[in-house]
Amino acid sequence: MEYPGVRALDDVTVEFRAGEIHAVVGENGAGKSTLMKVLSGSARPTKGRVELGAGLGTPGRAAHDAHEAHFTKPSDAIRAGIAMVHQELNLVPALDVAENIMLGREPAGVFGFPIRRREQRARAAELLAMLGADVDPTRSAAGLSIADAQFVEIAKCLASDARVLIFDEPTAVLGEREASRLLALFQRLRDEGRAIIFISHHLDEVVAVADRTSVLRDGRLVQQFARGEHDEGALAAAMVGRDLGSIYPEKGVCDAKATPAIELVDFGAVGRSRGISLAVRPGEIVGIAGLVGSGRTETAEAIVGLREATGTVRVEGRDVRFRSPREALAAGVTYVSEDRKGRGLHVALSSIANTTMPSLDRYARVGGARLDVAAERATTARWIRDFAIRCARPELPISSLSGGNQQKFALARWLETGPRVLIVDEPTRGVDIGAKGEIYRILADLARKGLACIVISSELPEVIGLSHRVVVLHAGEVAGELPRERLTREDCEERIVRLASGLSEEKERAS
Amino acid sequence: MSAASGNSRVESSGSNDAKSRRPRMSVQKFLQEWGVLVAFGLLLAISTWREGFDFLSFENFRTMLNSNAAVGILAVGMTFVIVSAGIDLSVGSIVVLAAAIGVTTMNWAAGREWSEGGSVTLGVAATLATALVAGMVNGALIVFGRIAPFIATLGGLAAFRSVALAIAEAGEIRSSSSTLFAKFGRSGVPLAWQSGVDEAGNAVFKGLVNAAGKPLTLTYGIIAFIVIAIVAQWFLSKSRFGRHVVAVGANETAARYAGINVDWVRFRVYAIMGLLAGFAGLLLSSRMNSVSTSGLGLGAELDAIAAVVIGGTSLRGGFGRVWGTVIGILILAMITNILTISQVSPYWQGAVKGGVIVLAVLVQRGARE
Repeated sequence: MEYPGVRALDDVTVEFRAGEIHAVVGENGAGKSTLMKVLSGSARPTKGRVELGAGLGTPGRAAHDAHEAHFTKPSDAIRAGIAMVHQELNLVPALDVAENIMLGREPAGVFGFPIRRREQRARAAELLAMLGADVDPTRSAAGLSIADAQFVEIAKCLASDARVLIFDEPTAVLGEREASRLLALFQRLRDEGRAIIFISHHLDEVVAVADRTSVLRDGRLVQQFARGEHDEGALAAAMVGRDLGSIYPEKGVCDAKATPAIELVDFGAVGRSRGISLAVRPGEIVGIAGLVGSGRTETAEAIVGLREATGTVRVEGRDVRFRSPREALAAGVTYVSEDRKGRGLHVALSSIANTTMPSLDRYARVGGARLDVAAERATTARWIRDFAIRCARPELPISSLSGGNQQKFALARWLETGPRVLIVDEPTRGVDIGAKGEIYRILADLARKGLACIVISSELPEVIGLSHRVVVLHAGEVAGELPRERLTREDCEERIVRLASGLSEEKERAS
Repeated sequence: MSAASGNSRVESSGSNDAKSRRPRMSVQKFLQEWGVLVAFGLLLAISTWREGFDFLSFENFRTMLNSNAAVGILAVGMTFVIVSAGIDLSVGSIVVLAAAIGVTTMNWAAGREWSEGGSVTLGVAATLATALVAGMVNGALIVFGRIAPFIATLGGLAAFRSVALAIAEAGEIRSSSSTLFAKFGRSGVPLAWQSGVDEAGNAVFKGLVNAAGKPLTLTYGIIAFIVIAIVAQWFLSKSRFGRHVVAVGANETAARYAGINVDWVRFRVYAIMGLLAGFAGLLLSSRMNSVSTSGLGLGAELDAIAAVVIGGTSLRGGFGRVWGTVIGILILAMITNILTISQVSPYWQGAVKGGVIVLAVLVQRGARE
């Protein structure tokens, strides 16, 4: 498999067995996604082939023998029993859950009319129950949480009786608890004799659930591990081809008596969070943990004026109320969105335009009638150098870069505005382990230079490894806070999970 | 392979020279990017073949540009609207409303014993002001009323013309100015100067002259169109406003997150579109020295949108080019020209134009994905 000028996959032979959870890991650009595209019919190999085992195949042909597959489009793969659950979920918001699950396979009379709605709902409910998902099949698919939408998506695959299920970073968008629920489901599906293939950047979950793990690097299969043969360190080393050591930089010191760069008093995003009080001092990194849906992102958005807010925000001691990110920016408060493709960057525009977008006024000449393109170029080149961004031609659309390099630009564009407060939401989502370490170092360096940093993350090791203290949100309220000295204790991860799931101290003691 | 059900196996490899190969531009990619120029060249060749080399003359291009200058100005404004991921269906109606109010105001002033110069100045100002206000109404409905551009301007399409019809009771408004007002649309800058007098006492000109030896003029309409197009291209590709319009069109949410004042950007786009429609209205009413409220600017929005699309601007927003729109206008003009000369019934011309528009979209589809 190759793209113009690049060989995305090079002589890779992998076998995926029935009744097996097979993890595929590798840095961004290692060829994982390409491999999955070949399997699911959305890309065709230039050389080599996909062989299907017995039991897989197009209806109507004898399916007891192994045979070569000729997929030209994703629906060919689906018909052969191979289904892919994409990171971007593809539910139709206008339809209800049952209609989504049975889409294209509606139980109906001759000529597809009428659809037998009761049967359709019953079948959908049956599939959801099998998955252990607590979703009402009659509710609308719009407004489902990401975790529930994922379960609906899986139910959809099972409705087509998929024997091979492929997941592209399924837990990247899930909180800790939803993720473990999904992984438990993987094990159940495997025990039914299905083949589960999943791509993941979370090495801990790979070690925990995968029966076999294939490591790709630069388009080649570099190593395969069976269950119990590996730990996270071995996987990471195989991925990058060297030993990594700790990827978390040393935490800087910060003056606990300094005026907070930003202070929230009884703050909240209307309808999503409330009563949040929090102060972040220059040089401090405060982590915000919590499950998906706990109001972390919404609170951050409310701070910079993207949502309606209640309560008070103080920046360097002065009360402020931002009505738009523009006003927040003017006061030195910036927010880097978790949704890099949809909100954080303009993927269709060049790396240069993206880098200078929030600070564009600085390049305006003659009252904005002309932009100093040479200066924009120079700024972009400086960030490329400082952050070691792999970007040969910054005038090309930024979508041509890997996730890690895009994320560095997403940070750079805000740092270019010279902020005093930086709120980063999921700073390493979809970023490979090498770039992760670099982003951590960048954030720690910035804090050491006096930036006040709020890091929102679903990855507990990340919040713990990076922050001076961690605030845990549950259902829109502060459930607890872990000061610096608690973050070095063995049980801190467990403690955060308990707080995030709403287990208060009293309840803990009672049980 | 084992016989267990559900197994699958992948083998894949690349060829050896893959790394040394450079990405090559495919024919499809080339057409997506430069198709409008190819089409222009083809039409130029066909027209020359059908009509002879006279087709390539300055005079012929001057005629084509002159009769399409007003729609051209609309199309330039429409390029910004479409790049911002919007649409403006009301431009043809703004043209007639602005012209009707402009001429009415001019006549009112003339009736009050104003000088011709004074009343024409007032009329021009009223035309432009009306158009700007109409554009601002569109912008306000879309930005503050949160109405989809298609719907808001569909309302404008009906409402603005209706006001013009009511003013004139669906009739024609004649200008009271005998010559001065008509100058905008009819005269221009002569491109030749008198060099002497021949034996018969007739003036002899140097420079660009027509077959009879009289000087050719570059009409004010053409000059306005060209100047507006050049300034617009500059602003779209080189200014802060242009960058913001592209950013809003490519992804409005991302633009808002980046600290761009999205509402203000979109409002200005529709206000500018309105003002440009005012210039078009001025040109058209001046050329006729009257305003036919039922006919002026009718369907102009469709021609303008067609030119923008043919020029390669993405209807989904986020990418566009004014020079493409200008060529789009020329392509539409040339098609009409050829069809007329080939004696194709005017009833069929719409079908051919429609086909060209669909073809343009098909060829350029996916250009920016």
